[in-house]
Amino acid sequence: MASTRPIIQIENFTMRFGDKEVISDLSFEVNRGDVFGFLGSNGSGKTTTLRALLGLYQPASGSLLIDGKPYRVDGDTSLGYLPEERGLYKKETVLDTMVYFGELKGMSRQDAKDFSKKYLERVDLADKIDTRLDKLSGGQQQKVQLGVTIMNEPELLILDEPTKGFDPVNRRLLMNIIEERKKAGATIVFVTHHMEEVERLCNRIILLKDGKAHAYGSISEVKKSFGGASMDDIFVKVYGGEALEVGNE
Amino acid sequence: MNKMHNLGTVIRFEVVRMLKKPSFWLMALGFPLIIAVVFGIVFFSNQATMEAAEKLTEQKFSLAVTDESSIIKPELLQALGAKIAPSRDSGVDMVKSGQVDAYFYYPPSLSDSKVEVYGKDVGMFDNSRYSAVANMLLSESVNSQVNPEQRAVLQGAVQVDATMYRDGIEYEGFKEMIIPGLFLVLFYLLIGFFGGQMLNSTVEEKENRTIEMLLTTINARALIAGKILSLIILALIQIGLILIPVVLIYLLAGPQLQIPSVDLSNIPFDPLRVGLGAAIFAFSFLLFTGLLVAVGAAMPTAKEASQWFGIVVIFIFGPLYGVTAFITYPDSPFVRFLSLFPLTSPIPLMLRNAYGNLPIEEALLGIAILAVSAVLMLLLAVRIFQHGAMQYDSKLSLKALRAKRNS
Repeated sequence: MASTRPIIQIENFTMRFGDKEVISDLSFEVNRGDVFGFLGSNGSGKTTTLRALLGLYQPASGSLLIDGKPYRVDGDTSLGYLPEERGLYKKETVLDTMVYFGELKGMSRQDAKDFSKKYLERVDLADKIDTRLDKLSGGQQQKVQLGVTIMNEPELLILDEPTKGFDPVNRRLLMNIIEERKKAGATIVFVTHHMEEVERLCNRIILLKDGKAHAYGSISEVKKSFGGASMDDIFVKVYGGEALEVGNE
Repeated sequence: MNKMHNLGTVIRFEVVRMLKKPSFWLMALGFPLIIAVVFGIVFFSNQATMEAAEKLTEQKFSLAVTDESSIIKPELLQALGAKIAPSRDSGVDMVKSGQVDAYFYYPPSLSDSKVEVYGKDVGMFDNSRYSAVANMLLSESVNSQVNPEQRAVLQGAVQVDATMYRDGIEYEGFKEMIIPGLFLVLFYLLIGFFGGQMLNSTVEEKENRTIEMLLTTINARALIAGKILSLIILALIQIGLILIPVVLIYLLAGPQLQIPSVDLSNIPFDPLRVGLGAAIFAFSFLLFTGLLVAVGAAMPTAKEASQWFGIVVIFIFGPLYGVTAFITYPDSPFVRFLSLFPLTSPIPLMLRNAYGNLPIEEALLGIAILAVSAVLMLLLAVRIFQHGAMQYDSKLSLKALRAKRNS
């Protein structure tokens, strides 16, 4: 029987850098199968929370659990993480890099190669398979990095601004890939600034400001609590900006 | 099983990545190439010197001599066609006026005064022929007055065969040092060739920004272990690349290059000293590898990491200045301290072990300290790598590391 426990449980999480408290008593859960939008402006604490969840930062207090336990790389939960800081081995070829990470994730060399070739064809990079990464554009490198993230078909995907720097065509391609993972039953935590992506993909969200949650729950619940506003307007309202009044232009 | 699989994956990736770099081959082949070039220069220089010396002996020049020492044989002067100058001043005048090309003055007491040579300038290198002939006249004159045995003594050509005994057993001091001493040479070569790479092995993950993906995919300990093992493999490859050409040059051109022959069967092998040397080398290498990896993990960029390399080098090479003390005063507190303090102990321990003045108890204590230090250093390197991973723009401070440990 599939577990009903939330796949991610964060309780009373507080994070400090030196004397500065950047996350304050944050609590939320991500259920299995959710596409969970993790929203907030730059510096609101999204990436810090994800890094603490993945054990890259030590929290000042609170607990951050994946599948009921602090995250360990050799644990039971298969995970794919696309960090905000993009980076790959610049002097290595696309295929060598993807195969290396695939093997680290437990795939056999052949399976990693097969996946890489299929994926690169899908994202229109088949002709770059033996090209060094530093010869690709930023967007192309990002596609490769996304491929590395999903290549072991992880049950939990954490994507930190996956469409940053993508043109609309590639953004749509990426959205399709994410939707496929969603249909395959993966849980996806998705950091983005693009509210249309949130509305299209996510079923639940959390909106952070200054390290605190200002909106949390299903999209419909959040919209209801803000008087039926769009996600765009909710974001603007939380951050104290001007709402768009179409009728008054 | 997964940990071993990941370790193997990291090792293979790191080794292949390094082998693809031109800088690796430049370093690997550059050293034997430089050695070959140096030997080539020595060889051709020797050839040229011999040819020049032969040419010099064939060049004739007119000569005047004043011999107040009464050593020079008249027959030799006659054979050279030398004129006799009645006095020093007249001899010098003969050269100045061009009557002769050279004039030699042999003073009454050769032990108190110098032989004076005056000659017509024929170029900086060719001018040396005059002194060569002046010396030849002296040596031939003296040699003709002694028998071959006396000549051998005077020329220092008598060979001496010395046999030493230690505790009643024949002891060949220098030869006994060869095999244990190899560990010291190996240590220097590996740190010299790979020190920079050890430093960069962790910092480049930060520079590449791959560290987040790596630490969420593979255990930090396995990653560091993989990097260190790959460095060891690369070091072995590099040693092979250096040794093979050197051995080939020795076997194929040793006599022509006047390299002394080595009878390997004659080199003593003391299993205890070799075993101790191997253990000291292994733990020393691990300690300094861990130290360099830790320094690299704490730094945000390769440039800042390389500034610390100099400090590490001081610990490694600094003890060399105490070589005389290690050999002459092995029991002094100074030598004992350097032999046991882990950051300075590799050189004194390996050197004293090679020389044979390292007591077994002290050796074992030194090895134990090195082993514990190496393990602690490697664990620290892993910790620093984990906690410094996200600091792309600044060094990881000790305060921050302690705070992270306590949180």
